[in-house]
Amino acid sequence: MQSILVIDDEPDVRDSVKYVLDRAGYSVRTAESAMDALAELARNPTDLIITDIIMPQINGVEAIESIRKAFPSVRIIAISGGGNFGVTEYQPSAITTTAYLASAEKAGAHLVLTKPFETVELIRSVEQVLGVGHA
Amino acid sequence: MARLRATFWIYVTACVVVVHLVLLPALFFGMGYVIRESHEDLFIEHARTFSRVLADEFEVGRALDSQTRIEDLLDFAITHGGARYAELYDRGRSIRSLYGSSEIKTSRSTDLSFGQGGDGIYFVVQPIAHAGQRAELRLGFDEQPTQMRIQLALTRMLWLLAGYLAVAIAIAIILSYRLSRPIQRLQAVSRAISSGDYTRALNVNTGIRELHELAVDLEAMRHELVGVNVRLEAKIKEKEISEVRREELQKQLRHRQRLETVGTLASGIAHEINNVLVPIILFTDTALQDLPPSGAPRANLERVLAAARRAKDIVKKILTFSRELGEAKLALIDLREVVAEALHLFSALAPPTVEIRTEIDESLPLVRADATLAVHLLINLCTNAYQAMEGARGMLTIGLKYQEHADEGGVPWARVEFWVRDTGRGMDSATVERIFEPFFTTRSVGQGAGLGLSVVHGIVESFGASIAVESKIGAGTTFRIFFPSAARLEVIRDLAEPVV
Repeated sequence: MQSILVIDDEPDVRDSVKYVLDRAGYSVRTAESAMDALAELARNPTDLIITDIIMPQINGVEAIESIRKAFPSVRIIAISGGGNFGVTEYQPSAITTTAYLASAEKAGAHLVLTKPFETVELIRSVEQVLGVGHA
Repeated sequence: MARLRATFWIYVTACVVVVHLVLLPALFFGMGYVIRESHEDLFIEHARTFSRVLADEFEVGRALDSQTRIEDLLDFAITHGGARYAELYDRGRSIRSLYGSSEIKTSRSTDLSFGQGGDGIYFVVQPIAHAGQRAELRLGFDEQPTQMRIQLALTRMLWLLAGYLAVAIAIAIILSYRLSRPIQRLQAVSRAISSGDYTRALNVNTGIRELHELAVDLEAMRHELVGVNVRLEAKIKEKEISEVRREELQKQLRHRQRLETVGTLASGIAHEINNVLVPIILFTDTALQDLPPSGAPRANLERVLAAARRAKDIVKKILTFSRELGEAKLALIDLREVVAEALHLFSALAPPTVEIRTEIDESLPLVRADATLAVHLLINLCTNAYQAMEGARGMLTIGLKYQEHADEGGVPWARVEFWVRDTGRGMDSATVERIFEPFFTTRSVGQGAGLGLSVVHGIVESFGASIAVESKIGAGTTFRIFFPSAARLEVIRDLAEPVV
């Protein structure tokens, strides 16, 4: 069973994504911050990370960079809601989703997904990133 | 003006009068003295000469010896010599002419000056020496006629001087009037100038050099003043214009700032809502998978899901406004193709009461825009127009116009005006002011989120174009979008990037 770690500061988002992917047959764990996630990754082997981009303390882009460095084999999906706060270039201090998603891809995310997404979209994205046929 | 005139000629006249009041008495008394002296001298000269001649007659003619002869000579003195009294005194004997006045008392000596003695008679005592005899001829001359002549001469001189004074005053008045007239004219013109009439020239026809030069100088000043005034007026006008421009720019800036603030706010809300929508959509969808294919719970949850998807769409529109998803892929496009595509998409939706027309220029340059967003924009404007004409017959006109426009510096630039006009209800100015704000709507709740025109604004901004609205209650609304033209279509078509 492939294992997935969901990182999001919103418990509702975390839990709903976990619920959908649990039902789809994956082993899903959650973390509410990038720090927790790194600790969790060190504890248990993980195939895929689904991470939010806009989070307090360590944002998603920084998290992806750290994870790619420490765990190069882990696949990554970045998710984020909309929200343009006027800055079009990636800046760690500013919240700019489009730029963040683009930066996330640059930082090493294998796929980006815009919130809110449908169940089917989520499952298909996970399948795509892990490689079709793995269930 | 009247004050100056009165003051001026009274002043000159008074000067003349004062000068003459000092001079004329001096003149009068001086000349009177000379006249008096000359008359008195003449009188004394005559009296003495006559006395001498008569005495000679006594001496030469030996008249002293003859009583008759003495009397004749004395009478002659009265009748022909102008004497009033004639007496011969000889060794105690006194012979007097009977013609003389008996009231006159004799004088034993010659009067030294005219008018002496107070009796009005001038006495001359002339000694006669003849053959050792010593006699005296005593003659008295009346001073009265000479006095009268002196008086007459003085009176005449007084009249003469009075006449002279009158003439002098008349000349003073005339001269001062002639002098003050050009000054008055200068004053009248300078008053006109000071009250704002700069058109009257200051030229005075006068023979007085100083006045002429004064007029020339004043005219030069007026000329300068007119120039300064014109420059000042031009400056004031310029300032007024720049003030109006400044206000206009400030208004635009405020409008823009407000839209940006609202955009940022909307964007933040959108982000939050998107997070909330994730569990709603995911949990509802999975719950639906567990429910039997029919029944109230499934129907209800399907409605929850549909509502969540609608919310997602609304959020997407907000993000279009805030340019989140409005990442326009700008390319050179032909707006005529945009119009054609939008009309194709829209023809099915158009209510039969609305007539659609197009007014499109034959030759149009390409503009830099995103074709898909441009179609989206036109559909939004058309939807807005249909809603404005709801329930009535109306006409929707879509126009494309090429304009060559000169800016303030006179530099010509080309633009394409893309306009959509309806004959609908129209809007008041307060509505026009806020029309591009998100969630601003004139329609009742449930008929629209009020995002259409804010999306239009977002799209227009992303093209670097500008939008303007004209509206009149009851007459309709026109939206105009101005695209800076890339170049003439004919020239650029071959070089254009592929149209999306």
